[in-house]
Amino acid sequence: MTQPWAGAATNRRHFLTLLGAGAAAVGAGGLLSGCSKAVSSRAATTDTNTLTGVLPKLIDLKVAIPAPDIVGVAPIPSAYSTWPSGITSVIPEAPGRGGATIKAMTPVWGTAPPGLANNAYLQAVNAKLGTPVDFSVQDGMTYADKLNAILGARDVPDLLCAPSWEVVKIPRMTSAAQALFEDLTPYLAGDAVSAYPMMAAFPTVAWQNSVWGERLYAVPNPTDGPFPLALFYRKDLLDKMGLVYPKTIDELFEVGKQVTNPGKGTWAFDDIFQMVQMYFKVPGSKDGWGLGPDGAPIRNIETPQFKAAAEFMAKVYKAGMVHPDVVGSKGADSKQLLQSGKIIFKSDGIGMWQGMQAEQQKITKGFKLAPVPIFSATGGDPLVWGDQDPISYTFIKKGLGKDRITELLRVINWCSAPFGTSEAVLRDYGVEGKHYTMSASGPVKTDLGFKELQNQYFFISGRRPVGGPQPATPTYNAELITYSNAMAPFIEKDPWVGIKIEWPAKFSANVVPLSDKITDIVRGRRPLSDLDAVIKEFKANGGDEARALLANALTNKGK
Amino acid sequence: MSTREAIAAAGSADHPTPPAASAAAPRRRARRPTVVRNRVPLRARLRRDWALLAMVAPAGLLLLVFHYLPVIGNVVAFQDYDPYAGNSAISALLSSPWIGFGNFQALFADPAFWDAFVNTVTITAFQLVFFFPIPIALAILLHSVLSPKLRAFVQTVAYLPHFFSWVLVITFFLQMLGGDGLLAHAIRALGGTPWNILTNPDTFLVLVTSQAVWKDAGWGMIVFLAALAMIDINLYEQSAVDGAGRWRRMWHITLPGLRPVIVLLLILRLGDALSVGFEQYYLQRDAVGRGAAEVIDTFVYYQSIATGNYGYGAAAGLFKAAIGLVLILAANKFAHLIGERGVYSKL
Repeated sequence: MTQPWAGAATNRRHFLTLLGAGAAAVGAGGLLSGCSKAVSSRAATTDTNTLTGVLPKLIDLKVAIPAPDIVGVAPIPSAYSTWPSGITSVIPEAPGRGGATIKAMTPVWGTAPPGLANNAYLQAVNAKLGTPVDFSVQDGMTYADKLNAILGARDVPDLLCAPSWEVVKIPRMTSAAQALFEDLTPYLAGDAVSAYPMMAAFPTVAWQNSVWGERLYAVPNPTDGPFPLALFYRKDLLDKMGLVYPKTIDELFEVGKQVTNPGKGTWAFDDIFQMVQMYFKVPGSKDGWGLGPDGAPIRNIETPQFKAAAEFMAKVYKAGMVHPDVVGSKGADSKQLLQSGKIIFKSDGIGMWQGMQAEQQKITKGFKLAPVPIFSATGGDPLVWGDQDPISYTFIKKGLGKDRITELLRVINWCSAPFGTSEAVLRDYGVEGKHYTMSASGPVKTDLGFKELQNQYFFISGRRPVGGPQPATPTYNAELITYSNAMAPFIEKDPWVGIKIEWPAKFSANVVPLSDKITDIVRGRRPLSDLDAVIKEFKANGGDEARALLANALTNKGK
Repeated sequence: MSTREAIAAAGSADHPTPPAASAAAPRRRARRPTVVRNRVPLRARLRRDWALLAMVAPAGLLLLVFHYLPVIGNVVAFQDYDPYAGNSAISALLSSPWIGFGNFQALFADPAFWDAFVNTVTITAFQLVFFFPIPIALAILLHSVLSPKLRAFVQTVAYLPHFFSWVLVITFFLQMLGGDGLLAHAIRALGGTPWNILTNPDTFLVLVTSQAVWKDAGWGMIVFLAALAMIDINLYEQSAVDGAGRWRRMWHITLPGLRPVIVLLLILRLGDALSVGFEQYYLQRDAVGRGAAEVIDTFVYYQSIATGNYGYGAAAGLFKAAIGLVLILAANKFAHLIGERGVYSKL
């Protein structure tokens, strides 16, 4: 048995000796540190409010359908309750000029749709586009890792979708944009955008967010709702137990206690700490910053509100109300837990609502998902975290040439057709008879539709936000806008609105260690009193540097 | 763990100092002047061995492309590396500013790194004692099973989990031992209170080791089974005739027969001492906290890959490789002292 290795062993001798010398040199590193330098920090802020000659002009787009009947309070987009008449095509000619297949990368949450060869939906849309788009669909949960890898390797597809919450995690995004993506300013700034009328109708704030290093680097996918998070609950199950949703923090704990029944395999929550922070009015602008009583920037963990929220959440963990799978592994699928009734409450983006309702009501009779209106744990008006960031950005690979870039922009423009156009019907519902059937209240997706449509084209474009009718969930739009309108007055004012921030390297490097320490406290592995030590470490590890950056941005704002 | 990985891991330490290496070479030649092997001319040797060379070529190419060429990338450990500098990946490497040992300095001054280091070494040491012998014991046990059908069946069942991903293994443990798992429900049904198996930082060491055993013990057994098959059956028969019992046969025949393989795998394992895997710790990090689950690999991921601070991560990786190399060399030396050939040996 030893022969194969023994034979190889002699040949490696010289190589290993060589390595020995190398290792000795590395070991001497500590002695040579006199001549070493520290890594530079690349902090910067860009005030997009004062930029000129970069942002596209807003040009309203008229579509033939009547105005929406469910009206949202700004910034909540309005919506339709019924399927409107008069849907027509708005883009007469195919955007593609028969160029090479467009490679695109987009995220998907859940099951990946079939690829181009086996996907009738992609084929149908591609036929309209004139130039086919081939999607590389990646798991949305680990999308940031994938993004970091392809950016670092400088190997990007023609069209790259980057969700906004992942973009903030990407270090040196400005350098990455400059090195890898086309500067779209010459193509879209000012009146130039009129060549792409669908994109010209995007709200200006969405374009403001697409600026890196004072240039326009992406096409935004404007947000269709200003809330990053909501607490959803299984109304059907709560009704069955004769309970109602909580309106105070004590009721939340009480309801949690009543619905938790490990013997039956039921727990109350997934990790709802972010929502709890909102209830205690912890600031949430720019991923956890706000202004202190003295008007200086303050990080969420430094506030007394945060301490109270952490104390409450620790109580929830200690009482065993969070499902053990969520506690026990990163891989736990809490959506699945909510769907199967193993948890009753779950915090997630608004985007979860309609999709889960439409799909699960076919599986579980009476399935009903509803959001818990946000309340204040400490009296007074509630605080609702806002989010004006676009859903995602579409970047175009650098150096493809003017013809190709305008072709890609036309394709994005086609995919950006708003609700009320036949382009949008094809993009959102697929082919009639195949992916959806037409009912009086609008298109209803078939099983094939659910399988093949996974927002592929949605994630390489954007649209003027308006809620289309949801025939599968007829009451959804009214429920959403009722909830949204009720929450809208309490949206937190972002002191740094329109300002893009590139965080100091040290601050970014400590985001995960910081959240680890908070997790330790919240889950009871460290006492709450350790929070002061954590705050001290935060300040020393880039926290104060980031604070100075934010303070500086405030001083310069509007200049 | 293969020899190839160990060599490649050691290989990352090679790059920075070619001068030192060439300085060592003449000394060696001076000590041993006659090179006997080169008597046959190169051409004749090529003609003689071309088939062997052709057979080894694909593996050599693989080694070159995926193990030796990436070694060049280690240079970023000495740079303030910016992946977007220049206009290609290569020019980024060339044009990033040189900062000497700045990354190493920052690394060694980082208490979080030493936490990860201590965790890693603890886990390795624990697994060396409680995991490493298990495949040997399993192999000896299985080797004594006479029915070939039963043996093949047990062997297949035992090594199958090796092909499961860590996500699957941890989900499996969660479904079995978690708070909503089979065991917890059984205990509750009997009126008891289940205890925290998966979320206790104090017993995390035992948990990860048992997961590793469940996943990989069967796989590790295969090498030892093959080694057992090489032992001359006559030895057993003769010693039995001489009156040796079961234990004496194991002590004097089986274990000495396995010794070269055991020593070899031990050396390779030591070279890999600072790699305990990534997914297993990443997935269970929130469950037990960073204090228990942060190992060097997750440290590199969070501090380097996730933050784009590649130079820092490369420095940590290089440090890991240097330690691995020292351990391999020391263990190999030790193997020579006890009369084994080890991973490599002198002529």
